[in-house]
Amino acid sequence: MATDSSSSVSDHVVSRGTVEDPIFEITDTSVTYDGETRVLEDVNVSIDRHEILGIVGESGSGKSMFASALLDAIPDPGVLTGDIRYHPPDGPPVDLLGLTDEELRQFRWEEVSMVFQGAMSSFNPTMKIGAHFEETLKAHDKRVSEGLEFARELLENLYLEPERVLDSYPHELSGGMQQRALIALSMVLDPEVLVMDEPTAALDLLMQRSILTLLDRLQRKYDLTIVFITHDLPLVASLADRMAIIYAFQFAEIGPRDEIIGNAAHPYTRALLNATPNVDAPLDEMQPIEGEGPAPVSVPSGCRFEPRCPLATEECRTTDPPLAAVDRDRTTHRSACHHPATAREEIQLNFDEANDELESASPVEPSEPAVETRAEQTSETPLLSLDDVAVHFTEEQGLTERFTKDPTVVRAVDGVSLDIHEQDLVCLLGESGCGKTTLGKTLIGLQRPTDGSIEYRGQDIWEAKDGDGEIPYDEIRSALQIIHQDPGSALNPNRRIADILSESLRHTHPNIGRNERRRRMHSLLERIGMAPAEEFLDRYPHQLSGGEKQRVALARALLMNPDAILADEAISAVDVSLRIEIMDLMLELQSEFETSFLFVSHDLSNARYFAEHGDGRIAVMYLGEIVEIGSAERLIHDPRHPYTEVLRWATPDLELDSMGAGDPPLREVDVPDPIDPPSGCRFHTRCPVAREACREQHPDLRRIDDGDGRVACFREDPNHEYWDSEPVDGAVEQPEEFTGN
Amino acid sequence: MNYYLKRTAQIPLTILAVATLTFGLIRLLPGGPFTQLRLELLQQGVPAEQVDARIEALQNIRPDAPLWQQYLDYMVGVAQLDLGQSISLNEPVIDVLARSLPWTVFLVVTSTILMFVIGVVIGALQAYWEGSRFDRITSGGSIFLLSVPYYIFAVIFLFFLAFQLQLFPTGNAVARGVDASLSLAYFSSVLHHATLPILAFTISGIGSTALNMRGNGIQVLGEEYVEVARLRGLSNNRIATRYVARNAILPMYTGLLLLIGFRLGGTVVLEEIFSYPGLGYYMIQAVNANDYPLMMGCFLVITVTLVVGVYIADLTYGLIDPRISAGDSDEY
Repeated sequence: MATDSSSSVSDHVVSRGTVEDPIFEITDTSVTYDGETRVLEDVNVSIDRHEILGIVGESGSGKSMFASALLDAIPDPGVLTGDIRYHPPDGPPVDLLGLTDEELRQFRWEEVSMVFQGAMSSFNPTMKIGAHFEETLKAHDKRVSEGLEFARELLENLYLEPERVLDSYPHELSGGMQQRALIALSMVLDPEVLVMDEPTAALDLLMQRSILTLLDRLQRKYDLTIVFITHDLPLVASLADRMAIIYAFQFAEIGPRDEIIGNAAHPYTRALLNATPNVDAPLDEMQPIEGEGPAPVSVPSGCRFEPRCPLATEECRTTDPPLAAVDRDRTTHRSACHHPATAREEIQLNFDEANDELESASPVEPSEPAVETRAEQTSETPLLSLDDVAVHFTEEQGLTERFTKDPTVVRAVDGVSLDIHEQDLVCLLGESGCGKTTLGKTLIGLQRPTDGSIEYRGQDIWEAKDGDGEIPYDEIRSALQIIHQDPGSALNPNRRIADILSESLRHTHPNIGRNERRRRMHSLLERIGMAPAEEFLDRYPHQLSGGEKQRVALARALLMNPDAILADEAISAVDVSLRIEIMDLMLELQSEFETSFLFVSHDLSNARYFAEHGDGRIAVMYLGEIVEIGSAERLIHDPRHPYTEVLRWATPDLELDSMGAGDPPLREVDVPDPIDPPSGCRFHTRCPVAREACREQHPDLRRIDDGDGRVACFREDPNHEYWDSEPVDGAVEQPEEFTGN
Repeated sequence: MNYYLKRTAQIPLTILAVATLTFGLIRLLPGGPFTQLRLELLQQGVPAEQVDARIEALQNIRPDAPLWQQYLDYMVGVAQLDLGQSISLNEPVIDVLARSLPWTVFLVVTSTILMFVIGVVIGALQAYWEGSRFDRITSGGSIFLLSVPYYIFAVIFLFFLAFQLQLFPTGNAVARGVDASLSLAYFSSVLHHATLPILAFTISGIGSTALNMRGNGIQVLGEEYVEVARLRGLSNNRIATRYVARNAILPMYTGLLLLIGFRLGGTVVLEEIFSYPGLGYYMIQAVNANDYPLMMGCFLVITVTLVVGVYIADLTYGLIDPRISAGDSDEY
């Protein structure tokens, strides 16, 4: 077979833009299920040695299949056909599909290894991490002691304590630690290629960015080739040398990173760039992409993107465009579109202009006064008022610790005071484990604080619950509602949408009849964009898409006529392109239903979109405390707390100049244990500008002199002894020395 | 309060409650055993004035004392393992229990372990070959075994193998004339007598264990860590034992200990069918003879075993599954 196809192979090489020293050559490769369903179609790509190739695609676009194909590990009963050639650093090329089982077993992990999305589910829960390393080394006949030495080195390079990690069970590590341990495990046999399938999707942004920085370092140190597959375009853009976009089981566009971001030629790529929430983009121009990617059984006959493409012509409907060079002189950038020039002209990239506009307009001032008046200067009783609230959990202990140790107390929330006003909007922002969800639940009276008080219109909620309050507890309970992160598990799968919604209606309007209830649900569903409402009412939750489920959850909360709704990471489970739509909907409904919103998120760009559009505040949380609070504008453009600055750094943007800029402005990757938070300022262990004073003294939230909001940092006080004390180990004198921007 | 302390304190409390119930039944039921005992004694020609003293001597209960006094006496007796005198067998209840309990424990533990091992192996094979002919046939078989009660098997085995073919004895735990010793003859006789009851008791439980294991196995096989282990090039043996088997069997462990407790109470009919001199056999005798002290003794023993079994399961699960000891299962 090799002989008679050699000429056609070389043709392909020309047409697909030669890379100089390919480590993988993938030719006409397809994955087929049941003989007809093709989940990867005629892919022709080469991967360069020592490059980082970022592959972006929506869920269900076949990107994971591509990852599995590189290891010839397609899940049964899928069939992999085509030609995948691997070029080892020395020796003849390997035909991947021609390997015997034993050869394939050795090839995997020794030459090409893989990192999966869920680190937790990639480890055997009943085995220590170290045992995973040992058995891998044994299975490949390597010396265990040497291999473990290398593993320790890898773990150390990933900012982990090797001994502690190797001696832990998977569940004893945080998500970020697990993911890094998994990366070390995948590199323990020193492979040439690392295939990463959404390796950071389950982590919060700061950890994602930190891991990416570490990956970049590892790639250079160990001469790796990395194939990084994700749905998150801006994330991988900061890391990749080349980028490829997969749409409907084929590559839509591939080229150097800067070309793809700055000069994309496929309408889908350009739409994807415009649909990304982006700290620097003007808000009005973020647009979701209409429609959904095709299912494998109903791929359009012409161009795959044609049904969703605003520029589609007759040619697009009939002829499938090949993946060909965009410009004649540059063969490295290839796109599967008939009209690349039109696409570039017609679809403007919104972040380009954004930069100019923002640069010229002075960033801080504009919306401040409004926030001030509403949030700070209202004299009326606030809707919800937290006073010095603490929530501490006592952790369950094992049999032996029972008798030897004191019970461990997790300080989820510590000393937080916060007022929420009528029709207010507050975003709680922070890393996972910082207590933002606990604080949110405390705010709506779902979590009893262990210390301090929470008042609803001047009435202590927990006193009302115990039976002595002027406002009955039932009234408070129905006034404070929640939307959960995962709408799938928040809706009863055995009840129709009509039943789910009428539950709340029956509570708020006990006297209206069945028809009236139905009419109200009908009009609300139409209002939230679920038409035809009649049809949706009779469906079960599993018949809805993720976005529709979240709309139903929102409708259910709204039907209670609440005064405040807690949206707990409510859009994280929704596809990126739909997030803005849901956020817009929530904002519109806020004014219509006159409710307040508490929006919990780990994503600064989402929080910013929400807070800026709703004219609200962002509260940054760290280890159970609010460290900075203020308007979105001020937080983005003039962050005062070093931690806010870190979050700002972790938020991916598509600005080419700042991309890949430097190390994280952090001295430690992991959050300290909330059981034993650091003394003084809790951030001092990671803070890049920490000084000796931060070790001992605890900063209080203080009003910012020349801006809105409050911040808990000594650097705000020009007379504080902070300025005279010595920087701690690893910290720098001035923040300018660590930030790239 | 500390979970483990609470858990430990529950044991004596549960046993106390059962003992109290026991006492209440003995004392308060009309036509209870003491009326009968008094009648018997009178019929035997014991003078009426000595009857109470005799009853007291037999049952560590003074029929003429106030109720609370009797209750305390009984409880002290229970605490000292003095469960009174069996009326029908005319010997201390504790002796009867000591004689019969080992046989029952032998039956139950052996059959439960056999059932578990065989069921797990069949279920694991089914999970590995999901959808195969073997899987379909054994699934059907498992459901059949699940729906037929064990005593049906017991009667069938007894009829064909013991009466018709005379391969096995029809009763007793050892052959007559074989003395309890460490000899081979004794052990083979014990095994010979126990084979049919164990077989009947085992076979009925295999179905549910196999189905359980099949479900768990299929679930674990679909886990990502099994896929990753395969890609890492681990041997199939290691994946089967350390990855699939271990994670699939873990959730069944608590059930196993509970099962031993429940099956202890389930031997009543089994031992009656095979005339096997275990706890259940004596319990039926006690019921028939209105021998309340013996009945209550049996009842107490079964309860205590069940309570202790659950206790051990609760305490050790954390040691077996590392995730539990860290309190991961507790949602805040």
